[in-house]
Amino acid sequence: MISIQNLNINLKEFNLYDINLSVSENEFFILMGPTGAGKTVLLEAIAGLIPLIRGEIFVGGKKITRLPPEKRGVSIVYQDYALFPHLTVLENITYGLHFHRAEKTSAEKRLDRLLEILNLFELKHRFPINLSGGEKQRVALARALMVEPKVLLLDEPLSALDPNFREEVRGALKRLHQSSDTTFLMVTHDFADALSLAGRAAVMNKGRIEQVGNVREIFEKPASPFVADFVGMKNLFEASFYNTQAVVSGLKIEIGRIVDPSSHYLAIRPEDIIISTETFSSSMRNNYSGIVTRINNQGFYYEIDVRVKDTPFKGLITKGALIELGLEEGIPVYISFKASAVHVF
Amino acid sequence: MRRELFFWISVSCGIMIMAFIILPLIQLLTSPSLGMLKESIQDSDVMRSIWLSIYTAGAAALISFFLGTPLAYLLARSDFRGKRLVESIIDLPIAIPHPVIGIAILSVAGKNYWIGQILSGLGIRIMGSVTGIITVLTFVGLPFYLNAAKTGFEAISPRLEKVSRSLGASMFSTFFRITFPLAWRSMLIGIIMCSARAISEFGAVVIVAYHPMIAPVMIYERFEAYGLKYSQPVAVWLVSISLLLFLLLRILTLRNRSEI
Amino acid sequence: MKIKKLLNPTMLILLSIFMAGIICHQDEALAGEPSGKVIIFNAGSLTIPLAKMEKQFEAKYPKVDVLREAAGSQKCARKIVDLKKPCDIMASADYKVIDKLLIPNYADWNIRFATNQLVLCYTDKSKYAGEINDKNWYEILRRDGVIWGHSDPNLDPCGYRALMVLQLAERYYSIAGLYDKTIANRPKENIRPKSVELVSLLQTGNMDYAWEYLSVAVQHGLKYILLPGEINLGNYQFDEFYSQAVVKVTGKKPGTFMDMKGGSVTYGVTLVKNAPNAKAAIAFLEYMLNPQGGLKVLKDMGQPPFVPCRVPTESMKASLPEPLKNLVEVKD
Repeated sequence: MISIQNLNINLKEFNLYDINLSVSENEFFILMGPTGAGKTVLLEAIAGLIPLIRGEIFVGGKKITRLPPEKRGVSIVYQDYALFPHLTVLENITYGLHFHRAEKTSAEKRLDRLLEILNLFELKHRFPINLSGGEKQRVALARALMVEPKVLLLDEPLSALDPNFREEVRGALKRLHQSSDTTFLMVTHDFADALSLAGRAAVMNKGRIEQVGNVREIFEKPASPFVADFVGMKNLFEASFYNTQAVVSGLKIEIGRIVDPSSHYLAIRPEDIIISTETFSSSMRNNYSGIVTRINNQGFYYEIDVRVKDTPFKGLITKGALIELGLEEGIPVYISFKASAVHVF
Repeated sequence: MRRELFFWISVSCGIMIMAFIILPLIQLLTSPSLGMLKESIQDSDVMRSIWLSIYTAGAAALISFFLGTPLAYLLARSDFRGKRLVESIIDLPIAIPHPVIGIAILSVAGKNYWIGQILSGLGIRIMGSVTGIITVLTFVGLPFYLNAAKTGFEAISPRLEKVSRSLGASMFSTFFRITFPLAWRSMLIGIIMCSARAISEFGAVVIVAYHPMIAPVMIYERFEAYGLKYSQPVAVWLVSISLLLFLLLRILTLRNRSEI
Repeated sequence: MKIKKLLNPTMLILLSIFMAGIICHQDEALAGEPSGKVIIFNAGSLTIPLAKMEKQFEAKYPKVDVLREAAGSQKCARKIVDLKKPCDIMASADYKVIDKLLIPNYADWNIRFATNQLVLCYTDKSKYAGEINDKNWYEILRRDGVIWGHSDPNLDPCGYRALMVLQLAERYYSIAGLYDKTIANRPKENIRPKSVELVSLLQTGNMDYAWEYLSVAVQHGLKYILLPGEINLGNYQFDEFYSQAVVKVTGKKPGTFMDMKGGSVTYGVTLVKNAPNAKAAIAFLEYMLNPQGGLKVLKDMGQPPFVPCRVPTESMKASLPEPLKNLVEVKD
């Protein structure tokens, strides 16, 4: 549905370099990356709201690169909702109908369906100034979908919401996507959104795409240190590889397979590291003794920093486990992890 | 709650400023006798003069509105090299001494300059004409309209316009459906400021057109020729009528404050 | 503590400015030679010669500051009479204005010091500039599209003099209706309070023809048409012919009118009664009416002076301040 080729954008603070991306019809695609990566810029470029210096954009097979925004069939929902303050909720939602020749009954049906899914019936005649954040979000979604766009672009729709609302809106997004033919392209900096909503995703950094693929794939097999760090692989080390082993600052790590000799890094998820105060026999091939250097309270779990020789590892344990193990800073512990938990790239 | 020093200083300054403005005005409005006021209002020259002032100021404001709105919008939305220069140029009319403005416009409008030759060929006369007066007033009033309108446009998030376009509206539709309804109050304030500036202009107009006589010129001429007693009534009428008009406009705009 | 506050920098600066002001003022009043301000209300056509005279006079007496305000002569008179604006000397383009409006309440005497004549000025950008001469000027002024003007007869002698020239022309050329027909082509917009303003209108190409004094035309480098002596108001020998022209202008009070009768252009100057700085003003007049002083300046600038200056009667000569008595002769 969307095909972006060699897109380059050069504006004062925003730049995109050689973006190549394809999104299939009716897909729910997620664009991730830290702030400043260029995600909003890419969205606005697809919508035709900013000029590009090089590249082509296709939507539904049609080249839209030179088309003005109103002719593209691409709707955008901004992070701050951008509702028209001088129009009621109903007028906001039906705004796009002024410019699309719509058959009256089908438009009415669509309106009812959207109002229902997004639970907006009672708010029809209110003005945006009297709506809560979550309500504004839903109105913005209804407005964007009312014109039956081929593509719906969402710029961090969940970031400004309370955690309670986030679940609600996530669910609404899923329902909306499934009940329409529109291709959804959503931007987020929170990987959890990707995990729950999307099939495929792309990770951006400093104006470039670092990795594209299935969400699970990105999660489990990050293609670069940046992506690894972004998806939460915290134990990221430079390594040299010999045979089935890796060497990290003098530490030998068993990885159980022969890897591409041009690999430079390995990473291990904190959840995959087992911490214990006594050695225990297990099938894990990597066992080391180290010292607890820090205990970080992360709310529902604790992040434990363990130093093995010169290498700092991060592991995760529950509060219960922390108390049970009697972990404190400075005490010696043992860490273990499977060879298969070592990710190399 | 005990008021602190900062509050009292602010209030004192405020009172001083209000007194500074109001006292001379009160003196002006109360000096002429009712008889003299009645006499001036019945003088057809005076009435014609005041009407000319109102009419030319209004025309200048309307011209500023129609010609200036696109520029104000452009300055609010886009960034380009030399933007600061353009903005400074727009503010120039405020800094130039008024007689200099009059002289400059006369020179450009005369047959010694190419623009004047074109105007002469078209039969348009600037010196001593209503056209000339409106030209001068537009010149001095434009910056006031432009700045107010520009501020109004800047206050509207460009995202609203972007969303409108993504929903299918052209730039024109977006401007009339979204931008204008949200900015009209600022534009109206700009028109008021522009008219106020125009209606009080003297130095530039008197050089370009002595006749037909706008009210400020008549007030000055009567003062020079016959003294304070004969010029004050005209001043009172001009100030009163202007005040009334501006108050009316302000009331019309403030009434719906709660809407947005 | 409080004294320290009094002596702080700001207070000291303000105090010293105040003291300096007082000292300077004392200085002015104590000196023996002419000093201080001399305020002159003068006719617009005297502006350039008076500017030069000011420079020469101030070079001789550096303690004097001559302040000039130019306006139509009637307007100058009104500033003195109605607005009671402070003034030392009034120099008018028509001595009759001083006679009628200032004497006897605001002035005692009136010295006639120079002449002038009226010419029709234009530039090479004026319409029909290539065609106009002293035979067809009145016909060209009537033509459609020609913009010509004069100054306000109620405020400036040059204004009513322009009208007089037209009246006289009608008689001189024996063309009935010349005056009315010519005036018909001069809408109100072409009148300006001061005749000198017409010069800039000519120079910028906003006006084609304007009535001005010969001296002004010369001083500003304008082209001009010289008219026959019978109608140009420049030759006292034609005074009787001139007296046929009469123009009604506003009088002493608003709503009243007076008649100005045609006569040869004669400039007059007087010392205003209760002048703020009579001493320095008389010194200036002494210089101005001196054939080697101000009168020479006038001559060099195209404005023929009376050498010596004149007063009409012996009694008026007797009433002059001492230093001026031997600069004038009695001649009507």
